[in-house]
Amino acid sequence: MENNQDKCRELARQIYELDADVYQLSGSILGRTFNGDKEQHIATLAALIYTHPQGHVLRSEIALIGNMARTISNKADRSRMMTRYNEILKEIEKIPSSFGSVDIVDEQLAALNISNPDHPKTGDDHLIICIGRTHGSAGTDIGFALADALKINYYDVEIFNMVLDRLEAEKDSFNDRENFDPKLDHIYPSTPAKRRCSDFSRYHGLPKKDAIFFNQSDLIRDMAKKEDFIVMGRCADVILTNNRIPHISIFITAPFQQRVRRMMEVNHLEYKETCKLLKKLDRKHERYYHFYTGRKWGDAVNYDLCINSACYGIKESVELIMRMIDKYPRPHKN
Amino acid sequence: MKKFLAFCALLIAAVSYSPFSILAATGSESPAAKVPIWFCVPFAGLLLCIAIFPLVKAAWWEKHQPLVVAFWCLLFICPFAITFGADMAAETILECLLNDYLTFIVLLFGLFCVAGNISFEGDLAGSPSVNVVFLAIGTFLSSCIGTTGASMLMVRPMIKMNSWRKRKSHIMIFFIFLISNIGGCLTPIGDPPLLMGFMRGIPFFWSLHLLPMLLVNMMVLLTVFYFIDKHNYRKDIAEGMRPDISKPGTNIRLEGAHNIIYLVMIITAVILSGFLPSLPAFSNADGTVRGISLDGVVLGFPSIIEIIIILLAAFLSFRTSDPQNRIKNHFTWGAIREVAVLFVGIFITMQPALMILKAAGPELGISMPFQMFWSTGLLSSFLDNTPTYLVFLTTAGSLGFTNGIATAVGVIPAQLLTAISCGAVFMGANTYIGNAPNFMVKSISDENGIRMPSFFGYLLRSFTFLIPVFVLDMLLFFL
Repeated sequence: MENNQDKCRELARQIYELDADVYQLSGSILGRTFNGDKEQHIATLAALIYTHPQGHVLRSEIALIGNMARTISNKADRSRMMTRYNEILKEIEKIPSSFGSVDIVDEQLAALNISNPDHPKTGDDHLIICIGRTHGSAGTDIGFALADALKINYYDVEIFNMVLDRLEAEKDSFNDRENFDPKLDHIYPSTPAKRRCSDFSRYHGLPKKDAIFFNQSDLIRDMAKKEDFIVMGRCADVILTNNRIPHISIFITAPFQQRVRRMMEVNHLEYKETCKLLKKLDRKHERYYHFYTGRKWGDAVNYDLCINSACYGIKESVELIMRMIDKYPRPHKN
Repeated sequence: MKKFLAFCALLIAAVSYSPFSILAATGSESPAAKVPIWFCVPFAGLLLCIAIFPLVKAAWWEKHQPLVVAFWCLLFICPFAITFGADMAAETILECLLNDYLTFIVLLFGLFCVAGNISFEGDLAGSPSVNVVFLAIGTFLSSCIGTTGASMLMVRPMIKMNSWRKRKSHIMIFFIFLISNIGGCLTPIGDPPLLMGFMRGIPFFWSLHLLPMLLVNMMVLLTVFYFIDKHNYRKDIAEGMRPDISKPGTNIRLEGAHNIIYLVMIITAVILSGFLPSLPAFSNADGTVRGISLDGVVLGFPSIIEIIIILLAAFLSFRTSDPQNRIKNHFTWGAIREVAVLFVGIFITMQPALMILKAAGPELGISMPFQMFWSTGLLSSFLDNTPTYLVFLTTAGSLGFTNGIATAVGVIPAQLLTAISCGAVFMGANTYIGNAPNFMVKSISDENGIRMPSFFGYLLRSFTFLIPVFVLDMLLFFL
């Protein structure tokens, strides 16, 4: 089965490289068939070849490269590309239509989980822990304590500030939409027309929040190649999954009443007010996560580990995570 | 509504009772008026080939398109020549090639060449709101420079802006709906049928009366598009797609912008072709247009002037533009070649259908605006919308109305004329072959990594999104 997977991956790589060569030879600037991250496309294509080698989706994707290859003006180049194209098609035809598997394990997901004993140790991977948390569950405190215990960097609002620096944006014109702090939870002021125009240019025609998300994604991805860290929220788990970067994703929550009690104590709020606020923040958080990931926030299937912090408390939660990480040797130490 | 249902029943009954019967116009002396309906089989066959072959034998189809087109053309020409004589067949084909196809393909060629030399540079990222604004601008531009001109000019920037995305075929489908078709309704420059109307005495700016219909259609379609695009945009983001916006600020610039001059040249040529025939210098004493006679078929001087200006514009565009612009635009002859080959077949094989329509049109008993809207529209979805428009314009002119717009074919009430115009312009969007730019946009998209739906796939989408809009048009404006 491993051989088949390797073969699929190799074919996917060939398809991706063919697309890149065809696009380069066509001289076009209008965009290629597989735009974006190379490894991500290769993984997606490999999965497509592995699961549906004779499927119409795969055929149509490859046909698009063929369409572009036929437009190459240089005859020799065109012929060379079409020969490669036909060879790939023949290779795909040889692949059996399905590969049986009885194990529940999803190799792609397992390969991204650095706490999995089967995770291939490349030596280049960093320890990256993505923590999602509900408000009042002490997730932020757990994340901070964990970073302190592991002696690695802790990122929350810092990422947002780095994005602003990168965008050369005026800080007072923004609200950190990922930071669901009640103090920031106010209606965003309306944007004057002049600023809208400058925003249009600054953010390449994208909505401001999307431009920030894309920049956050880039930053998280770049940081993940350089250092070990803990990142709070920001859909980092999905960003890293999409970019094939190994990490551990954790979700921390607690029963609603317990969260209310903690919020009341920490923020000196009334019971009713706290309930209302928590529900509102949960809804906002859920919408944000769903908008950018298409996934349900807090759904156990999206995380490697879900913790009910009310069962452990801050200190024990940190130790629980430490035990999970320390069970297997850390892939890389700074 | 009852009238509409009765009309539908009448159309269905007419179709089911008339297959393989001979449709003849009473009192007509032209043999063409007695064309049996089975002469339309080659047209249907060609359409089926266009629909099915790309799905089942794509590579074979791409290589053998000219042969398939020639086969269906011969299948029409030979029986036609046997039935009506070689002279009649030659005249029909020559008339179709010289007066319909030649000007059609030269205009398309000219706009394709000139637009291909204008390169849109910039890092504007395609998002739902940007796409909506872009489509809205393009829709209005269609009325200024024609649906073909606007489509050719805007298709590449649209593709480039959205190149970072995975799901983008819906963008090109709505592009075809709005820019390649519906947007062309406001002026005679917008779409050829309206130019024909202008040549028959309809005032140049009368088409502006179609603005309310255009606005309703735009509002509905752009709203639907926004939500579909937003849904797909979110899915793309969720899968990790993102545009390259690492540099702060957007730089947008047009390279080869001087080609706008050639674009204006082409539009002027189109206007001249509609305007010149009315001048005494270009018409004979009997009112026919002067021109070069080829085997009894006259290619009018206005058409010759139009062709020369367009070809000159294309030539100058190529001579004065940096070839790098074409390379960046991924300019190839594939799209225009495909359209030229397929449409020569479509133009020839649809002749019997047009003859039947010309003969039977006035006898269909169609006199209500909604009937005109749907009849003109549904036939324009598959046939050339210019002759279809003329048939129904003539029919409306012969109904003996005394109040309305005075045209060369008679007085036509404004609502009836609006219905015919809207039907002819709007419903060209129903199929890939309904209007020339539709197929061009599809071909260019296919060449640039966008998986466009098949013929039937597109038909399904146009029925899903457009037919409800047209029903709304009927309820609001034509009942």
